[in-house]
Amino acid sequence: MTRRGFSLRWLELQLLVIPAAVSLIGLLTISLARVGSTRWSWGDLTVSLVFIVAVFATSFWLTLLKVQGDQILLPIVVMLACLGLLLSQRLGPSLPEGGVWASLSERQLVYLVMGLALMWVTVGLVRHFFWLKRLKYTWAVLASFLTFFTMAFGTDLGSGARLWLDLGPITVQPGEVVKVLLVLFLAGYLDDYRELITSSYRVGPFSLPPLPYLIPLVGMWGIAVLAVILQNDLGNALLLFGIFLVMLYVASGRLLYVVGGLAAFAAAFVVALRLVPRVAQRVDIWLDPWSDPTGIGMQPVQADLAFAHGHILGTGWGFGFPQAIPVVATDYAFAALGEELGSLGTVAVIGLYLALVMRGLLVGSRIRNSYVRLLSVGLVSVLGLQTLIILAGTVRLLPLTGITLPFISAGGSSLVTNFLLVGLLIRASEFSRG
Amino acid sequence: MRGVLQVAAILASILIIAYGVLITEDRADPRWLGMLVVVGGLWIIALWPRRGYQLARSARPLVHLALVLAVGFGLVTIQVLRAQLLDRDRILAKASDPAAGVVDLRRYIAERQIERGRILLSDGTVIARDGTDKRGIRYRVYEGPSSYLAGYYSPGLYGAAGIERAFDRELSGSSTSGWNAWLDGILHRTRRGNDVVLSVDPRLQELGQTMLGERAGAAVLLDADSGAVLAFVSSPTFDPNQLSVPLGAPTEDVERARAYLEMLQKDGRGPLLLRPIQGLYVPGSIFKTVTAAAALQSGIATPTSVYRDDGALAVDSRVIIEQNRPDPTRVSFTLQEAYGYSLNVVFAQVGLELGAQRLEEMARAVGFEERIPFDLPVAPSQIAQTPDFLTSRAGIAETAFGQGQLLVTPLQMALLTAAVVRDGTIPEPYLVREIRSPDGGLIWSRQPKEWRRAFSGETAAALRDLMVWSVEHGYARPARIDGVTVGGKTGTAEVGDRAPHAWFIGFAERAGKRVVVAVVVEHGGSGVQAALPIGRALLEAAVQGS
Repeated sequence: MTRRGFSLRWLELQLLVIPAAVSLIGLLTISLARVGSTRWSWGDLTVSLVFIVAVFATSFWLTLLKVQGDQILLPIVVMLACLGLLLSQRLGPSLPEGGVWASLSERQLVYLVMGLALMWVTVGLVRHFFWLKRLKYTWAVLASFLTFFTMAFGTDLGSGARLWLDLGPITVQPGEVVKVLLVLFLAGYLDDYRELITSSYRVGPFSLPPLPYLIPLVGMWGIAVLAVILQNDLGNALLLFGIFLVMLYVASGRLLYVVGGLAAFAAAFVVALRLVPRVAQRVDIWLDPWSDPTGIGMQPVQADLAFAHGHILGTGWGFGFPQAIPVVATDYAFAALGEELGSLGTVAVIGLYLALVMRGLLVGSRIRNSYVRLLSVGLVSVLGLQTLIILAGTVRLLPLTGITLPFISAGGSSLVTNFLLVGLLIRASEFSRG
Repeated sequence: MRGVLQVAAILASILIIAYGVLITEDRADPRWLGMLVVVGGLWIIALWPRRGYQLARSARPLVHLALVLAVGFGLVTIQVLRAQLLDRDRILAKASDPAAGVVDLRRYIAERQIERGRILLSDGTVIARDGTDKRGIRYRVYEGPSSYLAGYYSPGLYGAAGIERAFDRELSGSSTSGWNAWLDGILHRTRRGNDVVLSVDPRLQELGQTMLGERAGAAVLLDADSGAVLAFVSSPTFDPNQLSVPLGAPTEDVERARAYLEMLQKDGRGPLLLRPIQGLYVPGSIFKTVTAAAALQSGIATPTSVYRDDGALAVDSRVIIEQNRPDPTRVSFTLQEAYGYSLNVVFAQVGLELGAQRLEEMARAVGFEERIPFDLPVAPSQIAQTPDFLTSRAGIAETAFGQGQLLVTPLQMALLTAAVVRDGTIPEPYLVREIRSPDGGLIWSRQPKEWRRAFSGETAAALRDLMVWSVEHGYARPARIDGVTVGGKTGTAEVGDRAPHAWFIGFAERAGKRVVVAVVVEHGGSGVQAALPIGRALLEAAVQGS
């Protein structure tokens, strides 16, 4: 943007020292806890060193591209990713796995580096947002295509839902990309038709929204949600629905949409409770997991035990037994942190997510360009809502839905997509005033 | 005005949360979730931007979005803190309840970090300790013929019994607190539990065990002054090693142990029973000590009171036949002689003269129908099974000479004997003498205590004379020990068609040391022949060994 020379992103660099230090200390703790002695070598810290190099290189890359954007988002995200990386190093050796190209601990590092690399590319490519906006229908088509392609050719990795595409050595989860594509489409569409959506016409005493302009919107969204529901992916359905409502509200400022949307959701939920046994089952386990503590209630019961054993200070990295929770590395990553880092750790993690969301919204609110603002708010809502849905599920505030905890859960698709998203956010923040 | 509303909303939310935590057990209780919805609403009120605060029209939805997300994260925080801090004990207790069907692997993994304390006899003989098998897994090893005194400890079977169970907190070290325990905890050092030292003397214990041999029965030897159990013999018994299975043991080991446990549970001879405290037997003539105590205490008789016994006594429709008279031609006996010769007809008359109430009062005074304070649960001895048994004269008469519906534990009868030599007071019996830290330091030591007064000193002195007479001139003569004051009473308790239970209670005094014993041999025949020799041997060894 500006024609000044290179200036280091000092605030960002200073803040990045914290996750760098945490990763070194954490990894050392984990490896020492495993061998049970205090002997160590630099080899034990390879993962952390790679992580630190990649993270600082990212900051320098942003400097090199003369990115003037926000300097706080990246450190927060890197801190969360650092916890995720440590968790994967902790859980990897304890979880039985086979038939995958690398162990959990190795994969997570590779995904993290890939995510950062994709962020470099994103930041490099997306400088002006107008082409993103112009391609809005492409994003919509791409999202639909990915959804239906997964539905047709996807594989089930044991969760009862066909969410993965098998690409030979690796499997990817297109659902993670779809939500970003949906935000790209909605931001473009809503920005173009903002006036129309905000307007209303009167029929007698009622003031109705402009239905004709909502139809393509609802149609597009309906297809996505339907497809996701047919895939049995309730978490993502909820997330897509939430994003849709949030963006509609932010674009129009009309509470009516939110109220109508929530009413529709409540109705859909009641119907699903009757018709879809999976939904009813989820609700039952949520309310009373102890009725079947070794069957379907095993996950929440063991997660409760993990939280309870964590207490205030936690057992410390490597000294808990989070592997007792089925699918701990993705669904219950938060419970694993709760056991080993205690309530200090869980509150800190919640605080980081809250800081990320609030910073994102603050940055978004300062953006003048209405499209970029809508886009960044949409992207922040993706992170915020996804975190809230999965956290509420793990702490039994809501029924559990199997989506990933951004940056912390194990999983490449999620991590890579979320870094792409952060790249977009950092670029978008350049449009911010002052 | 607005500030007041905000403060009120915050206060109300705090009150609702506090109330919800109090009334609900679980974080997904619908009432609690409903309260959280209200709390969320209150927070939105509290955080709502002030009216005067100028917001761009376009920024208003963003503020609302931020509010809703922040409140959502706040509710998640409440839920997670509730799980980790407030509901913690509830969750852990729920998981450790076997009925819940949950296996909390973490607890057992934590137990692997503990080297359980040892259980020792009074001279330092180890009867239970932790060993390590060839896979490096800790398991419990029991040593010696008296190891059943420890009970058993078997994480593989999720069970424990006896001292292992009653003193689990000490043995597992979880009772230890303070700086070092805390440091061990955070440094993940292997924690060592404390040693439990029993008062049992292995020499006396093995003597009793050997003399009882294969026969079913029990013997309990107490130091009358302190209440310390010196021998605690039970037979038949079991091998705790066969029940000791560590966590993570191969399935066949667990199955073998489970099969052994089931066999023990089904065995009609009751090998899992600790007979001195859990065996309930008809006392027979040894109960005459209680009847005599009641008579002496109430003043209706003295040791020299004379009673008539002409071989039979009709009580209502019941005829009591006397078989114990030393000389069938003799018809009058003092109370002392009647006790020494164990005359049923005389004691039936004493009982009838006392009446049900005074007899029952004395039985309760010595500890009947009550849980005797002890390191292990003791079955209360019983005066009668049916409430109206003692309303009939025949019932009183039979109870007075030790039949009727009486059921007693050997420990109860030993304590009765202790009261006789202690001028009427009963000590609090104990099996565990001290708790020692792994490095041998004394953590806790038993202070001998008096449990209660059973009868007056005069009554005790008179009873003591009766018991000594019984050994010097009566049927308990074989119990005499040279140079030692010995008192005792034998019993032969009728139990239906089978051979009677043989009983002996007695005391020995020498050089200020006073010990008491109670022995029962199930279906052993006559008390003099089956039980008395065991009791005499224990008394002799106990007073001479010191």
